[in-house]
Amino acid sequence: MTLNLPVHAQERLKGLRSSVHSSGVFTSDFSVNEFLLVRKAGFEPIGLCVGTCVYHVGIQYGSWSKNQEMDVLSKAMYHARELAMTRMRAEATAMGADGIVGVKLTIKRLEWDEHLLEFIAIGTGVVHGEGHKGFRAHDGGPFTSDLSGQDFWSLLHAGYRPVEMVMGSCVYHVAHRGVLSGFGTVGRNVELENFTAAMYEAREIAVERMQVEAAAAKAEGVVGVDIHEGSHGWQTHVIEFFAIGTAVLPLEQEIAPEKIADPIMVLSVND
Amino acid sequence: MGLFDMFKGPAKDPEAAAAEQRRQADIMMSLRGGRVPTSTMERLQGAAAGRLPWMATLSPAELMIARSHGLKPIAAVSATSWLHYGWSWTEGHAQGWETALQRLAQEARACGANAVLDVKMRTIPVQVEESMDFSLVGTAVRVEGLPASSDPIIATVPALEFVKLLEADVVPTGIAIGAHYEWLTDWRGTAEGMSWYNNESWELSNLWETVRQRAHAQLRQSAMKRGNGVLAHINFSQMFARERDVNDVKLKEYLARHIVIATTVDARRGTPLPHEIKMVVDMHAGKTPLTGTTRHHQSYATNEQDGAI
Repeated sequence: MTLNLPVHAQERLKGLRSSVHSSGVFTSDFSVNEFLLVRKAGFEPIGLCVGTCVYHVGIQYGSWSKNQEMDVLSKAMYHARELAMTRMRAEATAMGADGIVGVKLTIKRLEWDEHLLEFIAIGTGVVHGEGHKGFRAHDGGPFTSDLSGQDFWSLLHAGYRPVEMVMGSCVYHVAHRGVLSGFGTVGRNVELENFTAAMYEAREIAVERMQVEAAAAKAEGVVGVDIHEGSHGWQTHVIEFFAIGTAVLPLEQEIAPEKIADPIMVLSVND
Repeated sequence: MGLFDMFKGPAKDPEAAAAEQRRQADIMMSLRGGRVPTSTMERLQGAAAGRLPWMATLSPAELMIARSHGLKPIAAVSATSWLHYGWSWTEGHAQGWETALQRLAQEARACGANAVLDVKMRTIPVQVEESMDFSLVGTAVRVEGLPASSDPIIATVPALEFVKLLEADVVPTGIAIGAHYEWLTDWRGTAEGMSWYNNESWELSNLWETVRQRAHAQLRQSAMKRGNGVLAHINFSQMFARERDVNDVKLKEYLARHIVIATTVDARRGTPLPHEIKMVVDMHAGKTPLTGTTRHHQSYATNEQDGAI
């Protein structure tokens, strides 16, 4: 097969440099496949957007025998993430991005102080190749989403567009059981109803908060929801419930379901 | 036994020993003069002329992709720069990789290549006195129907991704590095924001923001030499705290450092991938977004380590 490459690529392989690019340098943490798919979907990456926040988390002790939300910790986790996300979005706005794809939100404990947490939000700012502004969020700023380049392509081809990365968090103290309560249940399986109830309440609070965010972003739904539990070095009975997902809206020109191609089934014989 | 003694082997006869010494001296002088060492040069030119067999780091499947797209492997090329951080650990990385890149390009030029693909960044895991080796290994290829290049491109992507990018008019051209570090002295003792309440340690936030932004600005600068964009960042950051006595006052100091390494590309806007993309469901049990991205159970994790019965 003869090589059928675009002219510019051929020139570069011969060792000829193209003239200076007017558009400047873009930066992105996309893999090659993500990059190609985002371009295929009609977007161009323009720059990496980062938001950082180092946060001193306040101190709060749950009362021994009570199920309760640790509102000081909840607020800290929420506020710090919010600050990191806002800064990332401000960077994207400054570079004129229509949205941010592939946002990764990470939390790191700084090793010399247990109360210091470092939050980092990082993603790639993209613009629509033909200058279409219809992909921006309801406030006219860039959309945010934690979807990968591959997921971004799939979402657009499912007839939806991302609006905002939404999240809800609840740090919760699960009550300890009374010292003597164990004796009554020796030899029987008993549901620890207050533990169950604690899980229910904490999860519900986190999910509700995420849903409120999605409603505020005027979204139709939330895709890719992940609900997980974590502890960031608190007392043993203190757990954070965290819900995160991407709020979505149908595309301006919605794709009829029957127009969406069925995937092809293959069976790879790799190990 | 010293670090390098293990390579020496049994004692040789004087003639061989002298030849070895000459070769070592040649390598040293060539690198100093910015040339490819003579013995390497002979090997590369022999492979380019077809007198010696070609060599490729590609797997057979990759070789198929390369051949179907008119790429002809010539030789495995490599370059190293072992650098001592006399001045700055953080910024030494930029210098080390840059030197290795230039040496790799020289080898590619020596064998008449258009590009080096599948370039991998390597470092030997030994700690020697505040130093580190920056090594690159890849496969030099000739593109059918094109003349040899005076400025061969260095692609840190495998063969498949290399041709996919070329078809979309994106040329992977090399490596860009951005590195920055900064010290913060906490004169007022307020950086960590110690209290019972929630508050942002804005001095530390600010330190991070500054260091990251500078590193990324440097990345852009570094990318401009070879293209108009970068992909696939590796981000590496660290923050340290230490205490220091200044006139009997304990001062806390913070060091934040950040390194970003990425593949540079020379991309034309608006040339989409010429292939149609179809969704495929692999019925094989593997990772796929069609089954979500999180694990479907984590209640029984213990059996995963067990082998077959």
